[in-house]
Amino acid sequence: MNRLKLIMTALLIGGATTASAQGIMGGHVTGNVQVDGQMSHADSTIGSQDVPEKLLMNARADILYTNGDFSAGLRFEMYEKPLLGFDAQYEGEGLANYFVSYNGERLSVTAGNFYEQFGSGMILRTYEDRYLGLDNSIRGLNVTLRPIDGITIKGVIGKERTYWFYSEGLVRGVDGEVNLGSLIKSLGESKFRVTLGAGFVSKYETDEVIPSSADPEYKLNLPLNVGASSVRADLGYGNWSLQAEYAYKGQDPNTINGYIYRPGQGLLLNLNYSQRGFSAGIQAKRIDNMGFKADRSQSGEMLYINYLPAITKNHTYAFLSMYPYATQVNGEQGLQGDVMYKFKKGTFLGGEYGTDLHLNSSVVYGLDTTVTGGAGTDGYEVNSGLGQLLYGDVSVEVAKKLSKAVKVTATYAYQVFNPVVENEPGSLHHNNIVVADVAWKVNKKHSLRFEAEWMGSDSHYDADDPEHNDRRAGDWVMGLVEWNIGTHWFVSASDQYAYNDGIGNYYNLSVGYTHGATRLQVGYGKQREGLLCIGGVCRVVPASNGLTFSLTTSF
Amino acid sequence: MKKILLAFALFSIFNFQFSISEAQNAKMPQNITLKTIDGQNVQSSVIQNDGKPVIISFWATWCKPCNRELNNIKEVYEEWQEETGVKLVAISIDDARSAARVKPHAEGNDWPYEIYLDQNSDLKRVMGVVNVPHTFILNGEGEIVWQHTGYQDGGEEEVIEKVRELLK
Repeated sequence: MNRLKLIMTALLIGGATTASAQGIMGGHVTGNVQVDGQMSHADSTIGSQDVPEKLLMNARADILYTNGDFSAGLRFEMYEKPLLGFDAQYEGEGLANYFVSYNGERLSVTAGNFYEQFGSGMILRTYEDRYLGLDNSIRGLNVTLRPIDGITIKGVIGKERTYWFYSEGLVRGVDGEVNLGSLIKSLGESKFRVTLGAGFVSKYETDEVIPSSADPEYKLNLPLNVGASSVRADLGYGNWSLQAEYAYKGQDPNTINGYIYRPGQGLLLNLNYSQRGFSAGIQAKRIDNMGFKADRSQSGEMLYINYLPAITKNHTYAFLSMYPYATQVNGEQGLQGDVMYKFKKGTFLGGEYGTDLHLNSSVVYGLDTTVTGGAGTDGYEVNSGLGQLLYGDVSVEVAKKLSKAVKVTATYAYQVFNPVVENEPGSLHHNNIVVADVAWKVNKKHSLRFEAEWMGSDSHYDADDPEHNDRRAGDWVMGLVEWNIGTHWFVSASDQYAYNDGIGNYYNLSVGYTHGATRLQVGYGKQREGLLCIGGVCRVVPASNGLTFSLTTSF
Repeated sequence: MKKILLAFALFSIFNFQFSISEAQNAKMPQNITLKTIDGQNVQSSVIQNDGKPVIISFWATWCKPCNRELNNIKEVYEEWQEETGVKLVAISIDDARSAARVKPHAEGNDWPYEIYLDQNSDLKRVMGVVNVPHTFILNGEGEIVWQHTGYQDGGEEEVIEKVRELLK
């Protein structure tokens, strides 16, 4: 079977090449290719293991053929063997994804694998993240109608991808969105902006035997159809905007919630004010039992029908993102506030080139619940208070151009992290983090970037204590130098070192070459074990020690 | 056998990449749904500049090099526009986690660009973008004539050079 798929891929790609080169079909072929490789050796200080295959490799190619409103695409994937941190179920190669699509002005139809999102994704979002090894595309039919300007209606049906297979459950959904300003002329010309939407998703799955917690002699009467719906509004007036979405999920006993029958609810609110050089916003989110999967018995990150991003800011500096927050789909409530301000040129704080100030803070609590039963019951009741503190942070970032060639960014952050977020034991960690980032454009051809980071933490490392064997514990320093030569080459060297109460010394060297849309990067060094998180969805990456390379090209 | 086929497949891809550069340029996709920063659905065909070149920059609020690129271009954008008539369209790939912050982020940074949201990466996917930042140049006919991945300080010089070449 695998061989057949491989032959098909080779023939299709070969065929597309010939067609394009000869220009018979008159369309265009575009796409991208990515190849990642990794070698790793055992190192007891960081906990990395030897890789028996010596070299691990992920590779993929997306090929898209477009001719006017018609397009067809396919993706070849290979994991021989999967890179560290990717699920072993990925091992193998073949055609992972294919579709044909018509995209007209009023109608779009896709048959095959597709990615779709209703509203913010709280009831349905299929997407792909190649770095997380996550793809929940639906294979089926996706239709979008735009009957008149301002109205969009979507319909989906199909099964969800999980590694090389598809879900047992069948996913069906409809969604509508109306932009009132396009329909009502006087509204469109006013300062008000109103977009309203609503969606409904239903999953069908056959019955299975799950014993009741009250009496294991009895099996649960599982709902074969599980429905979820949401309503949303996107409102604006002048410089103000408000986005709100509320989602409700019917009885959905599943592995993640422990087979309880309590309905799920989700609420997301965003209020923002912005004008040139200044913006402020607040985001609130509360979810209660919103894990919604295509297969009720599956745990892990695959097969989610909906998307529940983390409410916290997506930090990018190494130490700021060392303890990332991961969404707790069974229940969490939180707030995030964000302020940006630009001190203008020529003012006291702005100086010659202006100064940017960025403040951000978020706090996330669990739900305060009273457990009322196990599998087969409603599970728990929610009280009005806050549950335990899961995560909190506050950060201040100041960016200032000192001269035409030098720009400095300084960041301070304070963070509270509860290990329960990663299902680990232990008490709260409190971290103070300082980052200095200096970019220096030496001349037309060369530029340098220096980064220094410090993290002080009240946690400590002890290999024999399960509450303290987290290798991120302790106080850390880091240095990084990046040298860019023209627009093609870069060389970077960095080191993270636990100098107090911790363990580990993680050095890294990398060289990269970019030409147009092709990029090759080769690195050597140690990678910390930890969570790689994108959008609140995380995967565990084991420690590694050795050579890595990555080639990407788009065409 | 597997290895031979794989080698053939990969070879074909590269082979084909070189052959395509000689063919006619691909057009920018026309019927992909994007959102304006005010939440309204529009088709990607709105991205045009009355027969003059367009720079398309894929970015995200959390992407540091993207922000450096867009901030650095801001310094010279007025000059670029006066000289070449070029327009920069910034496509955010922020998802539900940060999509609501795109407008405040752009205005807080005082960016003078036309901005759209590609929340589920539909346009990113059909344009073959792997990582952000990724920059395209469209000629007056809306054809993709150049693209570049990543940003290094000074990279904007190469972008405007390519735009100037188009106008020769």
